[in-house]
Amino acid sequence: MCAVLAPLLLLGVVIGLFVGSLSFDLEVLLCVAWLAVSLLLAWLAQAWPEIEYRRVSYALDPEHIEIRRGVIWRAVTSVPKSRVQHIDVAQGPLERRYGLATLSIYTAGTEYARIDLPGLRHERAIAIRDRLLPGHERDTGDGT
Amino acid sequence: MGRHLRALLLPAVAVIFTAGSSGRDWDLWLVLLLIPYTLAALARSLSFRYRFDADELVVRKGWVFRSERHIPYGRIQNIDAVQNVLHRALGVAEVRVETASGGEPEATMTVLPVTALTEMREFVFSDRQSSASTREPEAIDNATELLRLRPSEVLLYGFIESRGAVIMAGGFGVLWELGLFDRAFERVTGTELAGGGVIRQILRAAIGQAAVSLRAVIVTILFFVALLLVLRVLSMGWAYVRLHGFVLRRRGDDVRVDYGLLTRVSGTIPLQRIQTLTIAESPLHRLFDRVSVHVDTAGGNGSEEQPTRREPIAPLFRRGDLESLISALLPSVSLGHVEWQRPHAHAVRRARVRTGILAAVASGLAVGVLKWSSIAVVLALAVWAWVYARKYVAHLGWAFVGDAVVFRSGWLWRHLTVARFSKLQVITRVESPFDRRTGMARVRVDTAGATSSEHTIDIPFLPAETATELAATLSARAAETAFRW
Repeated sequence: MCAVLAPLLLLGVVIGLFVGSLSFDLEVLLCVAWLAVSLLLAWLAQAWPEIEYRRVSYALDPEHIEIRRGVIWRAVTSVPKSRVQHIDVAQGPLERRYGLATLSIYTAGTEYARIDLPGLRHERAIAIRDRLLPGHERDTGDGT
Repeated sequence: MGRHLRALLLPAVAVIFTAGSSGRDWDLWLVLLLIPYTLAALARSLSFRYRFDADELVVRKGWVFRSERHIPYGRIQNIDAVQNVLHRALGVAEVRVETASGGEPEATMTVLPVTALTEMREFVFSDRQSSASTREPEAIDNATELLRLRPSEVLLYGFIESRGAVIMAGGFGVLWELGLFDRAFERVTGTELAGGGVIRQILRAAIGQAAVSLRAVIVTILFFVALLLVLRVLSMGWAYVRLHGFVLRRRGDDVRVDYGLLTRVSGTIPLQRIQTLTIAESPLHRLFDRVSVHVDTAGGNGSEEQPTRREPIAPLFRRGDLESLISALLPSVSLGHVEWQRPHAHAVRRARVRTGILAAVASGLAVGVLKWSSIAVVLALAVWAWVYARKYVAHLGWAFVGDAVVFRSGWLWRHLTVARFSKLQVITRVESPFDRRTGMARVRVDTAGATSSEHTIDIPFLPAETATELAATLSARAAETAFRW
């Protein structure tokens, strides 16, 4: 939260200096508006990842993987196993720090040529990958 | 059958010519600059080798940096050949071998003898059913002709498509330089100094600053009518050059198109590789009782940089015979009697919100600019918003036909897209906040090679349960089939 607030405060000071030459009423109004907007943004920066995370889910069955994502626009994406071209399990530095991973499913499609499933535990991502790849139908990724 | 074949691809003369034509001016300096380029091109093409192995095409190129590329026959989506005037004079062709990798063709052979091209087609496309040796070479006789465009039809295509604007934009600069348009435009638009042009007068009158003469109105209308006609005529000329002698043939499990007056293009598409098929019609199409039919393949036909964009598989087709064309291209699909499924009962309301917002914004602008005289414009926009929403929803529909899903949309410009279950990649059900409030959802179907298509299967305003059911069915049907590109 601090990481978000600090640049906003800095930005506010800069804007304040910039509009310093304007009339007093306008200055007060702008300051209030800026405060409101930055508070809202700060709250969103804090709460949004959790809201977003709560709306990501996936379901595996023998034939498909189904991925649900989106808070405002909600999408349910269904990929038949036979259409999976290849799969990446990627870890950025932060994800590595917390033992997380992003699963990327590649298909031959155009708009949905790559479908991401972020925020999985690394072992879980590997298990899903193994279940999606051909020849691992009976392999259980003990779906904890 | 691993017959090795080596072909020296390139007569040196052709290289110098094609390399030279890339520079516009034949200044000495440019020619000097071209020499290393030409040498490099020469070296590259002299080092170019290809051979046909039992089940793959092997292309080797490079002198300093060598590369050898193996392309399995089964992965080749289509083989296109382009011959410009120079190519034809020398009896060679530029050949592009496309796989599903998208973008760039897998292998481009700039100058390949025509006989070698024929041989290559034989090798690549005969692989599926029988061995190459038993097939007679390039038998056009046993091919069924699906469409042959007579010159009048080609001109009609140009008239309907109206690509004139593009040509105009290109030619405009040239004509402007020559000063041909100056006088004509001065009369109509008026120059900054004289300020007496007809369009200026009318704009002033609309804003309410001056009276408008009847003569001015007539001249303006005539000017725009003339402009439209010129654009159409240019487009017809373009179509005549581009599509002259268009023939679409089916031979076994492939279709082949040939066209072009100066630059001959010939493309081969295996039917198996057709991902989606789209039927498009504009009001003009309906006036002449025609449609145009496009197909998407997974090959690199979507790359915009390529000067030779692929034309529709049937640029202009009589609507009455459509059934025969569809059954030739997609044997398992029949569009004779389709039981169209309708969108949500309240879909018109949703559509009306959209057109209403558009109309409101446009009316706002009109009122801002035209003041009182904008009443007519605002009324027209309101009527348009009302009618368009109704008509748009009335023409929405989807259906299962054979082993495919069909989706149609559009009121004046209509599209109908067919995708076989075996070509579906990803099925998505999308719900916007507005959808949630009205109990609707949208189902999108993604296929390979859809980058270039203007219409995809993307069904809006479905009842929420229908959408869930449809997505599940499509996904299940897709999973039943194996995807073979």
